[in-house]
Amino acid sequence: MDFAFTSEQEMLRSGIDRLLAKTYDFDARQASVASPEGRNLPVWTQLTEMGVLQLAFSEGDGGLGGAPSDMVALGEIFGKYLMAEPYLDYMLLGAQAYRLGGVAHSPIWHDVLSGTTRIALAHEEAYGVGDVSVMATTFDGHTLSGEKRLVLGGDAADRFVVSARQGNRQMLLNVAARAPGVSMTPYQTIDGRQASNVQFNRVTVAETDILAEDCAAQLEEVLNLARLYLAAEAVGAVKVLVEASAEYAATRKQFGKPIGSFQAVAHRLADMKIAAVKLEAQLLATTALADRQQATPRDIALLKAQAGRLGQQVGESAIQVHGGIGMTDELSIGHYFKRLVAIDAMLGNSNYQLRRVGQLT
Amino acid sequence: MGAEVDLEAFRAEVCDFLDTAPTPQIREAGRKTTSVFAPFEAALAWQKILDDKGWAAPNWPVEYGGTGWSLQQRFIFNQEHDRRGLPPLLPNGLKMIGPLLIDMGTDAQKAKFLPRIRSGEDYWTQGYSEPNSGSDLASLSTFAARDGDDYVINGQKIWTTLAFKSNRMFLLVRTRKEGKKQAGITFLLLERTDYPGMDIRPIKGLDGRPEMCEVFFKDVRVPVSGRVGAEHDGWSVAKALLKYERGGTTASPGMQAKLELIRAAARAAPSPFGGALADDESFQRDVAELEAEIAACAAYERVLISKHPLSTDPAAPSIAKILSSELTQKVCLMATKVAGISGLAMQTEALTVGSNTAPLTTDFDLTAMPSYLLARATTIYAGSNEIQRDLVARTMITQR
Repeated sequence: MDFAFTSEQEMLRSGIDRLLAKTYDFDARQASVASPEGRNLPVWTQLTEMGVLQLAFSEGDGGLGGAPSDMVALGEIFGKYLMAEPYLDYMLLGAQAYRLGGVAHSPIWHDVLSGTTRIALAHEEAYGVGDVSVMATTFDGHTLSGEKRLVLGGDAADRFVVSARQGNRQMLLNVAARAPGVSMTPYQTIDGRQASNVQFNRVTVAETDILAEDCAAQLEEVLNLARLYLAAEAVGAVKVLVEASAEYAATRKQFGKPIGSFQAVAHRLADMKIAAVKLEAQLLATTALADRQQATPRDIALLKAQAGRLGQQVGESAIQVHGGIGMTDELSIGHYFKRLVAIDAMLGNSNYQLRRVGQLT
Repeated sequence: MGAEVDLEAFRAEVCDFLDTAPTPQIREAGRKTTSVFAPFEAALAWQKILDDKGWAAPNWPVEYGGTGWSLQQRFIFNQEHDRRGLPPLLPNGLKMIGPLLIDMGTDAQKAKFLPRIRSGEDYWTQGYSEPNSGSDLASLSTFAARDGDDYVINGQKIWTTLAFKSNRMFLLVRTRKEGKKQAGITFLLLERTDYPGMDIRPIKGLDGRPEMCEVFFKDVRVPVSGRVGAEHDGWSVAKALLKYERGGTTASPGMQAKLELIRAAARAAPSPFGGALADDESFQRDVAELEAEIAACAAYERVLISKHPLSTDPAAPSIAKILSSELTQKVCLMATKVAGISGLAMQTEALTVGSNTAPLTTDFDLTAMPSYLLARATTIYAGSNEIQRDLVARTMITQR
């Protein structure tokens, strides 16, 4: 990838763009988010049929490619449409973490790739992503105890991959959602995703359900791919906000002229655009590195920090440009803003990422 | 020195009352307040308790039930009130229409409305903005045609906060289409919000809950006796009201209280780097920066109630609005960073006062995100900060 998507990736993007424009516009998205399941089954089925679920996996693992740029190509379109379907939840977090246990002999892998078995990653704890040394969820070789928060897709998951600490070793455990000792509180997030806080109270884990041990580095790779994807979602959302704000400033009139003709508003728009191009450039540069297996944890941390900070700033500015109407639930602007706020908070916010950069020096 | 002793005695009396008078429901409402508008019923219940004590309207003249407190005493009261996280009293009656009627209302209007504003029996919604008249308020077009002893109103208002819970409304209407736009506006009091032809629709905000509304008027007939000031002279009435809205408010004690909540939450929050978040030096630096900004804002608010020349600077109201709104946003943002992923859950049920649904984690995590989202409005309403900066600049440039 030379800062441009391949023709295959462009084809996929335009195909998904067309599909979502038709079936997942803002009103349809809001309706599905407000439904009892919080999900849109027809869209998920169509994405499945297009092979989107297999996209993140190598051919050796039964997938369709698995290049990081594939995730970025997809993520940006999903960001553009505020996708609330559980792609990140099950395919990028759950399945990717499960894959670390080896899938050649897994009886369920085929079902995972086809979306019929849903695996959620139970990793984040109280206030964000931590190093394994501070992880409060523990495994003693037989039983698992602790609480995980913001388990994306946890509400409808069949299984969890649970990250836990055994001594000072990072473990990944395969736990059935209905196993004795598992309880959860499902909720919707501010950006329309479905999540759960999940409690594991002395849950028995068989030896065969230990997916990986001492796997901090591998888990970090999974999280970093998801962070790259989230940065792409942020770019998609930011671009919508920049365009919508410019459009609004050009048409909304006060004092007899478009508000964009007032320098205070015009300069804010310019700053939004500058933030957007910075973020997109950094995303593309990091993606190019990732495709060559040269993106370091430091590169990803820098990108995620920028996506969180710049995304949130653009979101705040979009509200300010829109004024009162931007504060309403009815307009999409506030929902893009909330998506960007959530992207910052997930998988380590910008403060966390910048501290990580300091540590990685 | 004698005055200082009195103030300390006064402070002790205030503290004693504020520590004992609020009911558990009122304290809960304070913890669940996520914007300048505290939970409605509890805020009015608190106002009633304060009114029974004679303290509901410190900014009113004594003859109308004010307290007779000095500006310093009022500052102390606000400080001790907000420091305790008690729900702020709803502003429209006590700080807006009440003072206006005291200055400009007819005797009949004062007798009829003021006691019930003070006690909280009535609540007034403000009908100013329209879909096409926000920052450019004077361009408003909701029209009131004179018909004998009535006005007949047609048009639409928006951002009428809490209209669906209010039983009265004050609004600006156009009574003359010709001439300068400011010179054809009239200020009206509506005794009811359920006149035939009035339609109130709540608007959900970023937090997913209704606080704002839009109000539609179709041939709504209201008595001329509800007019404040002369016909076509409503703009000067509105400008007079603005000074009550802007004056005498103190934002810094509430922000200081919030900063303490942030520090307390951070002491209980594990840092992803080990230990508590409160021990993290980069967190300490960020909070200290906020503390410095709040200290400056608090100092400025104290200067504004003194006789120092800064208090009469024509730019002062705009500067105070810019300072408090933007700092409120920063404090709210910091709270969301401390709540972290636990702030991402939508918890509409748990936010309701008296709800049986407990917060997923803590009250702090529950309110951090809605407070942050709703605080985005503070730089938009009551004259956007872009407009305020224009006003500040204008005072600087025309003074030369």
